Amino acid sequence: MMRAMSNTTDYLKPILLRLGSMSLAISLLTVLALASVIGTVLLQNQDQADYLQQFGPIWYWVFRSLGLFDMYHTWWFLSLLGFLMLSLSVCLWRNVPRFMKEMRSSKITISDSAMKHMKHSRHWKLKDQSVESVLLAVKGNLKEWRIREEQRGDVSYIRADKGQYHKWGYICVHSAMLVILIGGWMSVQFGFRGNMSVPEGAKESEITFLKGTSTEYMKMPFEVRCNEFSIDFYPNGMPKEFKSNLTIIDNGKEVLTSDIIVNEPLYYKGVRIYQASFGDGGSDIRLKLLKLDGSGDVDFAETKIYTTFKDEATGITLEMSDFRPYNVENMAQIGEPKDFQDLGPSVDFIMRGAGLKAVKIRSFMNAFELNGENRGNFMQVSFSGNTQDFESMALGLDMSNPKEWELLQRFIVRLAGADLSNKKKANMQAFKAALNDVFGDQRPDNFQAMAMRVLQAVQVIPRLPWPYIPVLDDYDQKYYTGLQLAKDPGMNVVWIGSALLVIGLCIMLYMSHRKLWLVVRRQGGVVSISFVGLSNRNPLNFKHEFNEILSKVDDDVQALNKGDTV
Amino acid sequence: MTAIAESNGLWENMYQGRAAFVRYWGYIGLMLGATGLALWGGDGYTEDAYIFQLVGQDGLVWLGTGALLGAGLAIIASMARPEVVNGRIPKMMVSWFDGGALMIVLMGILTIFEPTSAMVSYENQSNLIGGNIVMTMNVVFLFSAICYIAYLFAPASFIGGMATAAAWAGIYSGGAALLLRWYESYLFMDGDIGHAPVSNLYEVFILLFCITAIIYLQWEKRYEAKAMGAFVMLLIATGIFFSIWLESVGQAEIKPLVPALQSYWMKIHVPLNFVGYGSFAVACGAGMAYLVRMWLESRNSKMVAVFPSLDALDQLAYKSVAVGFPAFTLATILGAAWAAEAWGGYWSWDPKETWALIVWLTYGAYLHVRISHGWHGKTLAWWTVIGFVVTVFCFLGVNMYLAGLHSYGRLS
Repeated sequence: MMRAMSNTTDYLKPILLRLGSMSLAISLLTVLALASVIGTVLLQNQDQADYLQQFGPIWYWVFRSLGLFDMYHTWWFLSLLGFLMLSLSVCLWRNVPRFMKEMRSSKITISDSAMKHMKHSRHWKLKDQSVESVLLAVKGNLKEWRIREEQRGDVSYIRADKGQYHKWGYICVHSAMLVILIGGWMSVQFGFRGNMSVPEGAKESEITFLKGTSTEYMKMPFEVRCNEFSIDFYPNGMPKEFKSNLTIIDNGKEVLTSDIIVNEPLYYKGVRIYQASFGDGGSDIRLKLLKLDGSGDVDFAETKIYTTFKDEATGITLEMSDFRPYNVENMAQIGEPKDFQDLGPSVDFIMRGAGLKAVKIRSFMNAFELNGENRGNFMQVSFSGNTQDFESMALGLDMSNPKEWELLQRFIVRLAGADLSNKKKANMQAFKAALNDVFGDQRPDNFQAMAMRVLQAVQVIPRLPWPYIPVLDDYDQKYYTGLQLAKDPGMNVVWIGSALLVIGLCIMLYMSHRKLWLVVRRQGGVVSISFVGLSNRNPLNFKHEFNEILSKVDDDVQALNKGDTV
Repeated sequence: MTAIAESNGLWENMYQGRAAFVRYWGYIGLMLGATGLALWGGDGYTEDAYIFQLVGQDGLVWLGTGALLGAGLAIIASMARPEVVNGRIPKMMVSWFDGGALMIVLMGILTIFEPTSAMVSYENQSNLIGGNIVMTMNVVFLFSAICYIAYLFAPASFIGGMATAAAWAGIYSGGAALLLRWYESYLFMDGDIGHAPVSNLYEVFILLFCITAIIYLQWEKRYEAKAMGAFVMLLIATGIFFSIWLESVGQAEIKPLVPALQSYWMKIHVPLNFVGYGSFAVACGAGMAYLVRMWLESRNSKMVAVFPSLDALDQLAYKSVAVGFPAFTLATILGAAWAAEAWGGYWSWDPKETWALIVWLTYGAYLHVRISHGWHGKTLAWWTVIGFVVTVFCFLGVNMYLAGLHSYGRLS
């Protein structure tokens, strides 16, 4: 029985020793660092389809089985952290008792051979006389030091220590890392972190989060209602503040209403609610559909963002994807001072239809103004469907004025009937006729600017392949606020560990254990005095400090001696 | 201590005994006055209002009262018990306070030359003079680097003196330029976008140069390590070329803060991080000096005589890491605290966070093998150099190549 037990310890001991060894710790840290690099180079938690496209099927499969797409939560990465914890624990378990013992009971005496190896030392030999005054003076010079004395036969020892508790530094730092890792584990084990999107005026109580590659849901013990979301802008169009006004509803009762902004979360029942993102929460949109079939008719489409509008007559669908109330752009040429202008509201949608190439369109509500001149409406068109590929397309007409659309229609009709042998003249006459058709005798004051726009529009609009031009006409904006909800019971543990870490580091790096010995030996008629010093770190400073004390000790000895050195 | 200090009795006296003691408590009183103004002056604390209060009449009253009280009490104390003036801390701290005060005074003088609000706008910031001061800093630091390198080949004391003087001039112009930039950020958009000048790469570069130079000059002052300056200043000079490039591509403009950066944490987290980065740069300089000295020794070059001993360089590299590591640790922890307030968690494995961890592990391992296993010399000299490469990647590489939550530090 006994033998078996000692056998197990025999087996265990080398394993434990190895676990606590420094080479293991260093290799663990190296592997951890290298693995972390992978996680930063390979974007984490992206769409699986993107990964597949990026790496091809084989590498995608390899990376996916290694869990590299959510690497920091894989079993192997977590086991690395676990091993680190184990190694730290073993290290502490092995060294702490030794350190404590060393700190408690250090020898006052010092052997001659140890003294010989000291870098800093000085020896005197005096004729026999009372050295009590030297001892007293030396002690007087070492007021800030811990002084202990011992007498052994003819030899008296004085030992002075400073920073003798520096070993607490090691203990603090190592246990701090352990505490931080435990805190991190508690956060993962007992905490959660997920997102919810709440449209203005709506309620939500469920968060979503990614677990590995799948999306999971979790019910909160309360509901969150978004009363209002607002953005404050700087004059250059950069957002200044994102603000949500939230009401917490617990058990059907409104318990709390508060604003949150980035950097100032809301705290309720151990859950922190952060302002994380925002987007369109299904704004009401009215589009003007300017028909291009020659009739000149104008239809309206009432729809919402995130819905698809289907026009029964043409079979065309408009997939409404986004709405923006502001579009601030720098309108200056390169090299000129910046000039920020708000181009007004816009709506994004994809237009599809039989025989049509699908396009993504950003349609602006307002006419574009350049140097105070009305240049008519415009839209941005992307054939790839990516917003980066948007190309601007000027429509020419100011769509807010229905008369201009009418004028264009009449102009096209008049042009068709005109004699085209003299193009300029024909244009002129057709336009005059069209003006008469629309306005009669009462021509508007700005008809010349209107003429310019119509002449430009006639180059563009009849060539469009679409049955109509969809132009943003009216909207009722509604945001959703993107909230992040998190509960983190490990956080305070992490802060305690962090404080311990910093304190430990400061002790470890800035406190050096300095030891001084004054040894007085009476032998025959001679008194020999030795003064030696040792520091565990910072030799440059210690040299300075030692020499300073040494010069005082030397003065004391010389005063006593008055020059009769042996 | 140093030859300069001994030759100038008045200067020496300013940093000794009662003069240092009274001034130290004057500064402490000043800071307490500033704290008092923040807590009880005006109605509630908002940063922008506070800054205007500081430079206005309220500031004069609160700070002046604080400073006079502090200095007055110190004079009384020093009369009652003359031995109190011998404390170590006032002597140590007072030169730092003086330096800070000098920077603020320099900034104040420079503001006289600033154009009025009417002459600048967000769109056109070319009238502001902050950029000129930064350029002065660039030139002075480059000159200092040249002097330090020349010193290696011709260790005449005047070249060394010029190098050191230029480095100090660079620090003061850089510090004053940063403070001036803070002031300038209030000059347009009705003071709406005013913020501390630690919000983009261009600004933190200036901070990094100054901190690196300050840490190096401490070592130079205390340990006569002037030859090391060539290596540290070479790193700064490289950074300066990068920062000039940043300016040329329009990264030097004062821009409003995105909501995520509007937090008092920015003013703590960012500078502290750069104490870490700056120290690691100095450690790298010491490591390079160590390696070069070894190489010179192997060729029996006479230049070796200019260098500090291998042992001293090894110690200086360690000292620099010992300054930088706790600062970097604390900066990372405070960054985590900020993240807990802004991003919903103290740790998100964001690339910047992860690389900060990697930097931390690199220097942590350095300290570990040095303290527990007594390694020193060539391996560790290489370690500081490679460690700094990792640091530079954490500082710049992450911003340039990797996306993530820290993307406002990105080059656009």
